[in-house]
Parts: sequence; structure tokens; C-alpha cells
Amino acid sequence: MRDALLIVKKDLLTEFRKKESIVSMVFFGFLLLVILNIAMGIGRELDGEIAAGILWVSIIFSAVLGLGRVLSQEKENRCIDGLLLSPVEPEQIYAAKTMVNFIFMVVAEVVLIPAFFVFYGDRFARHLPMLVVVVLLVNLGFSTVGTLFSAITAGTRRNEVLLPLLLFPVITPLIALAVKVTGSLFEDVPYREYSSWLYVIAAFGFIFSGVGYLLFDYVIKEG
Amino acid sequence: MDRSGFLRIEGLRKSYDGVDALRGIDLELERGDFLSLFGPNGAGKTTLIRIIATLLKPSSGSVRVMDFDMEEHPEEFRARLGVISHQSFLYSDLSARENLEFYAALYGVSDPAAKAEELLGLVGLLDRADSKVSGFSRGMQQRLSIARALVNDPVLLLLDEPYTGLDQSASILLSSHLRRLHGQHRTIVMVTHDLKRGLEAASKVGILARGKLVYLKERGGIDPGEFEHAYLRYLKGVPDV
Repeated sequence: MRDALLIVKKDLLTEFRKKESIVSMVFFGFLLLVILNIAMGIGRELDGEIAAGILWVSIIFSAVLGLGRVLSQEKENRCIDGLLLSPVEPEQIYAAKTMVNFIFMVVAEVVLIPAFFVFYGDRFARHLPMLVVVVLLVNLGFSTVGTLFSAITAGTRRNEVLLPLLLFPVITPLIALAVKVTGSLFEDVPYREYSSWLYVIAAFGFIFSGVGYLLFDYVIKEG
Repeated sequence: MDRSGFLRIEGLRKSYDGVDALRGIDLELERGDFLSLFGPNGAGKTTLIRIIATLLKPSSGSVRVMDFDMEEHPEEFRARLGVISHQSFLYSDLSARENLEFYAALYGVSDPAAKAEELLGLVGLLDRADSKVSGFSRGMQQRLSIARALVNDPVLLLLDEPYTGLDQSASILLSSHLRRLHGQHRTIVMVTHDLKRGLEAASKVGILARGKLVYLKERGGIDPGEFEHAYLRYLKGVPDV
């Protein structure tokens, strides 16, 4: 884990200097919130599930924007070879990149979720602690799958196009569950009625953590 | 110290989608050898370097370095390997010092800051230690790349076209660094197109053509003029070995 944390520290330092990924993620997510607010009618009171859909569209689309960069930045000067030539195990690189994607998502959400409450009504903030739990679990699922797929596409010429094409079919169930659970939260549905969906979201993240951990070595190296 | 069989390659083959990049390489180097390997584009030089470096898996055959178990514990071998390429493996948005400290920490060096300071002095970059790599010339990046490859005090150095993109003075500087590294009894394998500099530095010289090692001799017995003639014949593909 020490090696993974070294890579995380390096990536965060680079992002702190360039402010490339997070700024574009926040800007794009914020823009989506504004556009959808206008489309839905400013000041109109929305159903919980529609509001949840808007929140997750904003979060997931902004997260995809940052996802490709976390690994593709290693392509510059073939830094990925520098990592693979070091004694660090490829699994540690996967863990590091997953953590970086997770952190970037959290930072973007720290801006996007309050902005969502401002645009769509603070009544959706009633169950904030549970919303935070849902968001963190979805982040885990998204970053574990996303890191694996961004490793698959990082070596291709059409990285930016290929990544969403491969990623979205796999994460669609996760997004659907996230909307369902968040919508239930916004509609004040009792916990026991959506708790099973929450467990599936958690399972998604943990299963893909294992899959990514096992497959990353094969994915990141050339044949 | 046992000098024999430091690096042993046997029957090494590599195919990409049915195209043979390496067609059975056999090679043995002793500790402290400096092999300059020449060959035309597409001869398989970079493939060979990447297989030795464990970045690529061979289709068949084996590579053995000292007693390292390259299959089960490649990370133990990589901990003592240095690679210098025409790509620097350096992060443009980090300073020279930060790059070296990062790599030193990855290799488990006990005091990364002190190691970075020492290596920056060695390659003459102390005055630019805190400048971002993005502002460095190609020559400065290559000097820093040499420092990066030395953070783990490697026993084997692999050099893949290290002279690419360097001007005359940077090439001279690189050659002097390589002479010094060879003088420290490190084993070096360099693939290059630069006949003059490759011959200057080497203790052994080889030519790789169409995936086969078609020429391998001690540097001492080679006349540069004759070698150039032989190399050009292989470059034109005249001999089919």
C-alpha cells in the first residue's frame, strides 16, 4: 500500500499544479446542472427520482471526463513504463489510480452536490448523511470499473471516444441503482425498502475492486 | 565475483499477430560487458530490450539475469534494473528533484531526498533541481533520465536509442556518462543507430537483422570501417542468415 500511496501523492501534486482534471470535471458537471435546471423549468418542484437522475447525470458525466486523464497522463514521456519498470507491482498501480479517481470524484461532488441543492431545492438535503453513503459507494464502483477500462483504452489512439463506449454499458446498472436509491431518499422512503439496492451497489464496488486488482497486470502490459 | 553468464538469452522468439519480431535470439553476456546492438528499423531491437526489461513476454525462449526469478518475482529483478530510453519517463509538471525523489521512493531508497541531491550533482543539474521538467531541453531531460535510471544503483542498464534527438554536445555528454557507468562495472546493453558512438562505448558489438542476432563480436577485434560495411550490408538485407 505504501507504493500506491506514493503514486497517489504524486498524482495529487501534479493535479494541484495543473488543476486540469478537477476544474474541467466541476465546470462540466455544474454546466449540466444549470442546463437541466433550465430545461426542467427554473423553480419547478421535481419528483425525487427525476431530481436523482439529474444529480447522477451531472456526477457521472463529469467523472468520465476526469477518468481518462488519470491514466493517459502516464502516457506522456512513457511514464507508465517508468512505473512498470520499478519494483512496484501492477496491482499497486491499479489501487493508486483507483484512489486518485475516487478522490477526484469526491472533490467534484463537494461542489456539485451543494450546487444541486441550490438549483433544485434544499428539501433534497434532508437525508444528507445517507446521501453521502450512497455517493461514496457509487464512487467506489465507478472508480474501480473506470480505472480498469481507462487502462484498457489508455494505449489506444481513440482513448477519449472508446472509454465511454466501453464503460457505460458496464456501469449502467450501477447508475440505475444509484438513481433508484437516491430517488427513494429524496422521496423519504424508509431505509428498509431500498437497503437491498444499497447492498448491491456496495457489492458492485467490491467485486470490481477484485476484478480490477486481478486483471490490471494483463491489461496494462503489452502482449 | 563470478563474471560468467550474467545475462543469458536462449531461443528467444516473439511474434505479434503472426509476424515474427524476434526469430530465435541466443546471447550471453558477462558481468561488466557493454553490448552495443545495431540494426535497421524493425529488426526487433526495442522488442528485445522490452522483453529483457520484463515489459513484454516472449512467445518462447528464456531470459535469465544472474539468479533472478524473472517469471515468479520479476519485481526483484526490476529493483536492480535501470532503463534509459529516448522517452524520458519523467513527469513534466514535477521538478527534477521531485521526479528523482518519487522514483527513489518507489525503489525503496532509504533517503530519497539525499539520493536525488547526489544524482542531480552527478548529472550537473543541481542549479535546475527545482525547475519543472517541462522547461528542460532534450539534453537536460536525457541527463535527468540517466539520474532517474541510477536511483536504484542498477546492476544491468538497458539503453534504447538513448542518442535520439540529442545535439552534438548532449551526445558527447551522454557518452561520457556511459563510459563512467561502464567503468563502474555495470553491465550495459544499448541499442542504437549511432554507429560511431555505439562502437566507441562498447566492449561487444552485435547486429540484429530481421529478428535474428546475425553478428556478435568483441569490440577489440573490429575495424570500424569494416564493421560499417558489414552493417550496411545487413541494413540492405543482403545476407540472409
